[in-house]
Amino acid sequence: MSHPWQLPARELAGLVRNRQLSARELVRACLDRIDRLDPGLHAFLDHRGARALADADAVDAACARGDDPGPLAGVPIGWKDNLVLRGETTSAGSRMLESFRSPYSATCLQRLAAAGGVLLGRTNMDEFGMGSSTENSAYGPTRNPWNSDLVPGGSSGGSAAAVAADLCPLAVGSDTGGSVRQPAALCGVVGLKPTYGRVSRHGLIAYASSLDCVGVLGHSVDDLGLWLQVCAGGDAADPTSTSAPVPDFTPAARESLKGLRIGVPWELNGPGLDDEVAAATEAARSTLRDLGAELVECTLPHTAYAVPTYYLIAMAEAASNLARYDGVRYGARRTGAKRCDEMTTASRSKGFGDEVQLRILLGTFALSIGYQDEYYGQAARARDLLRADFRHAFAKCDLLLSPTSPVPAFPLGSRIDDPLAMYLCDALTVPASLAGLPALSQPCGFTAAGLPIGLQWMAPPLREDLLLQVAGVFERHTDHHRRRALP
Amino acid sequence: MVPRPTFDRTLLQRLAELSRLHVPPERQAEVLQNMQRVTAAFDALRDLPLAPIDAGDNAAALVLRADEAEPPLPLAEVLANAPQVAAGMFVVPRVVEG
Repeated sequence: MSHPWQLPARELAGLVRNRQLSARELVRACLDRIDRLDPGLHAFLDHRGARALADADAVDAACARGDDPGPLAGVPIGWKDNLVLRGETTSAGSRMLESFRSPYSATCLQRLAAAGGVLLGRTNMDEFGMGSSTENSAYGPTRNPWNSDLVPGGSSGGSAAAVAADLCPLAVGSDTGGSVRQPAALCGVVGLKPTYGRVSRHGLIAYASSLDCVGVLGHSVDDLGLWLQVCAGGDAADPTSTSAPVPDFTPAARESLKGLRIGVPWELNGPGLDDEVAAATEAARSTLRDLGAELVECTLPHTAYAVPTYYLIAMAEAASNLARYDGVRYGARRTGAKRCDEMTTASRSKGFGDEVQLRILLGTFALSIGYQDEYYGQAARARDLLRADFRHAFAKCDLLLSPTSPVPAFPLGSRIDDPLAMYLCDALTVPASLAGLPALSQPCGFTAAGLPIGLQWMAPPLREDLLLQVAGVFERHTDHHRRRALP
Repeated sequence: MVPRPTFDRTLLQRLAELSRLHVPPERQAEVLQNMQRVTAAFDALRDLPLAPIDAGDNAAALVLRADEAEPPLPLAEVLANAPQVAAGMFVVPRVVEG
């Protein structure tokens, strides 16, 4: 048998259920690999060690009794540091929450554990999800497993690097403007952002509430479907979660793409792309044609407004959401202030990093009297125009296709001092976020320097089934996803 | 149309106050420069038509849960996260002068 950490999650769960592999052995293998490789990557902020092994033992005991522990039996799962787990530290990559221990658990983590998954440890992230490189973590950057001088993308860079380095077969992330898909592309793994509301956000530390989605990263499209099957569905604790029926995300394998119309919006497939990214996506389009799909040019005319719209809305919502960190009920407090408002200002100025403070200031500006309609109001209108663009495109096409990131992984430190250059990393992912659509990134090639390139699929609301089905066909006919960063 | 704002130390001071943040003098020039650059990139939005747009079927109605009390969070665990507590309450510095 291969090393357990080389196998897909679904296969691992089957081996554990059939008692051909113990959950303890599997979790131990991942913990050993983390101890060996993660000092050079910093994908994990910490792991649950003995507690994860105890959870694995419970799975093994259930199997020994003849009980079914669930579809994720024994599968070790990392999770982004902005999802709370009762009794465990959750910091959102911030000094502000360095010692915060949650009194409750995120719904998606509860569902994963109830399905037999073993929660392995917290993965690194840009502070409060604000960044595209994981360099904005208060605990130091994560490095890309394909080249440790490069960033893994962000903000779920820890989760992407953890999967790419085979430290765990699945890792949960969150995607506000591309924070699952962009690091998936830069690390050569598969990443899914479901439809807004498809997976409960209860227990996800809020950044921009009208955009935040819980997502996942793994090595195969099928494993993402397995995760979604477990996590999708309405939740009374999250009024924005949808109670729409959850279909079977593992339909019989589809071999051909005959009859499928794939739209190629020119605004996301030409201007500003790195040459190697453009060539790899052109090769992917050719493969899709060979598989029987019809590729049609289409347009999303308001794409040029997407990046400013996204950042305005996200910053305005962040300024509001992060107002809760006042040094009173939880979070860091700066001692020595004589008055409560002084204490709050001092605590926030000490607890938040530079990028978070910049976004709060800009969000406050966008909502301030005299400028609110000119900025935030206009962004809300632009968002409606973008949604209408997608609706018109999906009237003619089943799915839309583009690269995930305009560039492959870039050197640590090369963009961190230029916020605008960093924001443009999200140019291809923010449109689907603004429209609340499901979207997926999968590997579609490599640069001459051996860096992965990602292909992005976008689907109509709640059509993750189609997204996974079609991405699965592409995956079965290519081998980009099989290449590994580290032995 | 409202004139484009000039980001100077006065505006920064006002925004920092509203944001409950303190931007030290040695960082103000860099923060102002970044704010100026980012808002300049936002200016494209000011050309958009002002008429409201039909958001169509993406504007899903928010369904709220029943307004019924549920078991509260464990109080001891909640208070354990507070920087300072006394007698089951959060302690803060003086709020009212006097």
